[in-house]
Amino acid sequence: MSSNTIKLTVSHAPFWHNGSSTASKSRNILLDSLFAVVPGCYQYGRAAAGVVTIAVASAIIWELLINFLSRRSISVGDGNAAVIGMMLAMLMPATTPWWAVVTGTFLAVVIGKEIFGGIGANPFNPAVLGMAILMLGWPFLFDFNASVLNYAFDFKAIYPLVLSKSFGAHAVDSFTVMELLKGHQIGGIGATFGIGLIIAGVYLMIRGYIRWEISIFFLAGVFATALFFKWLNPFYAGPGFHLFTGYTLIGAFFLATEDASSPVNFIPMLIYGFLGGLLTVMIRNIGVHIDGVLYAVLIINLVHPLVDKIRPKAMGKGVSHE
Amino acid sequence: MIKRAFFGILKPKLHYKQIDEAPAQPTSVRASQKITLYIDDPDQNTEASVLKVGDPVKSGQKIALTAKADSSYLLASRSGRISNIALFVGIFGKKFTAVTIDMDADAAQIMDDVFKSASQTPSLENARAMLAGLPGKPDFNVFLSGGHPVKTIAVLGADSDLLSITRQYFVKNNIISIKTGIDLLRKITGIHNVILIVPHHLAQVAGSSGATVKTVDSEYPSAHPHLIRQHILSSEAPISGAGVAFFSAEAVSAIGAAFNTGKPPLEKLLSFISKDGTRRLVSVPIGTSAQDILNEFNEKIKDGDQLIVGGPLTGISVYASDYPVLPDTDTLMVLSKKKIVEREESACVNCGECVRVCPSGIQVNLLVRCLEARKFQEASDRYDLFSCIECGFCSYVCESRIPVFQHINLAKYTLEHMKEAEKNNV
Ligand code: SF4
Ligand code: SF4
Repeated sequence: MSSNTIKLTVSHAPFWHNGSSTASKSRNILLDSLFAVVPGCYQYGRAAAGVVTIAVASAIIWELLINFLSRRSISVGDGNAAVIGMMLAMLMPATTPWWAVVTGTFLAVVIGKEIFGGIGANPFNPAVLGMAILMLGWPFLFDFNASVLNYAFDFKAIYPLVLSKSFGAHAVDSFTVMELLKGHQIGGIGATFGIGLIIAGVYLMIRGYIRWEISIFFLAGVFATALFFKWLNPFYAGPGFHLFTGYTLIGAFFLATEDASSPVNFIPMLIYGFLGGLLTVMIRNIGVHIDGVLYAVLIINLVHPLVDKIRPKAMGKGVSHE
Repeated sequence: MIKRAFFGILKPKLHYKQIDEAPAQPTSVRASQKITLYIDDPDQNTEASVLKVGDPVKSGQKIALTAKADSSYLLASRSGRISNIALFVGIFGKKFTAVTIDMDADAAQIMDDVFKSASQTPSLENARAMLAGLPGKPDFNVFLSGGHPVKTIAVLGADSDLLSITRQYFVKNNIISIKTGIDLLRKITGIHNVILIVPHHLAQVAGSSGATVKTVDSEYPSAHPHLIRQHILSSEAPISGAGVAFFSAEAVSAIGAAFNTGKPPLEKLLSFISKDGTRRLVSVPIGTSAQDILNEFNEKIKDGDQLIVGGPLTGISVYASDYPVLPDTDTLMVLSKKKIVEREESACVNCGECVRVCPSGIQVNLLVRCLEARKFQEASDRYDLFSCIECGFCSYVCESRIPVFQHINLAKYTLEHMKEAEKNNV
């Protein structure tokens, strides 16, 4: 056979790739979230598993529907919709009714992401946006205290942030850091088991699936701000409490780190993360809301393009083809 | 393919291949029947060419397109007869004139001795007129062009793409001829500041070259001329532009040999990488078809495979296996169909990997959005398109598998073309 009849593949350099893909990142985040979700389901029973299933499934269906309506290629394969569904479920109480879950994933996937042009184009973390709207519309569904009326726990079944907000540090003495880490607190399905969240977070950071700068500085922001408040007035709960209650850990490892809505340069990531932590504690301590993470994340999402401009200049002129 | 590291917390790294302690001797591969020379021909002189089909050619003869002194040319590596002259358009419209020479049947080569007498009196003119077609493709025009006068000669003993060991081989095994070349370059250019740039492990042998030795690290793309200029030569030359003339170690060694013996070397050394990843050093006459090399090593290619001239990050993939070895072909590699990277026109997810690896500090994540929207001018004005040194690293790490590098090259090409057109219209 003459060599000239062979059809070689022609493409542009580079001819190697490191093998990473959006799908594999999503897969890792999904599997990793199980460290927090499985204990959550264990704690809250079948209802929790139901919420998770409905959330992930409906998120995927919403995206499929949009793909279909907008005649774009099917994008659910990248796993991003599933991740959004999972994030949302992790934030929800186990008692969330199915219709609220489905509405939540609609808000997150359709309003939070697809309207802006799909993956990578969302200015806000879609799950956070969805959850924030849900909470505005149906606040009673997300009253964590009411949500656990039918459960019998061997720990204080009161949302710790409510206690600290109304009665101060004194009231939450019984929540030791160890207790909190072990998930002996009520809250979102995937938001309370601190040990699991930390394992998950460390894994994601080491593998480079999230940008560690953001997570670490988010936590540092929470820590420093809580310490400052405590120093101002001992009424406020200390850093240990703020770090391991509410959505702090899930916020640091899963929410603030969402790719499209966060910066990529080093210094900006530090500022972005720290600001998130700072706002979280400020809202908790002197704002009107019980937990500040969601709003803090939305605010830093908003300023991220601005923050990301702080960077060294590019090198002088490189190669041109002249 | 080198996989993403398990520990992604650190910046992704790629390392240049280091030559073995005792590299195997290069295999000599013969050209079968014909050689083809791709001569740079931006103005398309094919028609006006002084060359004619049927012209006899001697080995070592200068094959120039026009009679003008600044006409581009190559050297015929074998004697024979011109059998075809054609325009060849390469990647992004780069134009060549392809001159095919049917080789004389008998092994005895008829040598051209025009250079022989010129070599008695080494001069920059002689070198420019006769040696630009040497293996390694030395560029003597930099000494004559206006703008910044050249103050420094940088000899590259480090390879530019990942798998090649071609230049390292010269430093390791031919340091004497590199020294001769350096001395000659000094003599003909009057420039005494010569710097030999090598990977760390070759620093010692490089010492005997008589040039100042500087080392680059093994991390891609530190051996890129722009980065060398930026990081290593910044004290020697203004960063802004010229001031430095770059030569590959192979070219310098060839210049030395040419003046010493009166015969320009016509064999190109290259690193050949087969489908299974085996690397061999090969020495072939310039113009030899890649197919001849494949045949020599019994490397079968099939439909859908890729033949790459140049390395895995910056090379070009060619349409046909009869693509010839050119004076600057340091690497030839074959990639089997199943190892070819699938690229997608997907959206950037803002993972930031490209920004972490870009040696030029470009915000590739923003640049790529601009390029995907085909806003090339904005890409150049606001997102540093022209700071790109074309290392390809961004595409290598892109999580969305966007052909970022291709977008960049296309944008540069389009903008330059527009500028060119405007100039011509005025
Ligand atoms: S190809 Fe250009 S943009 Fe991409 S990493 Fe290299 S220098 Fe940066
Ligand atoms: S590597 Fe690709 S997906 Fe990631 S930020 Fe850069 S262009 Fe976007």
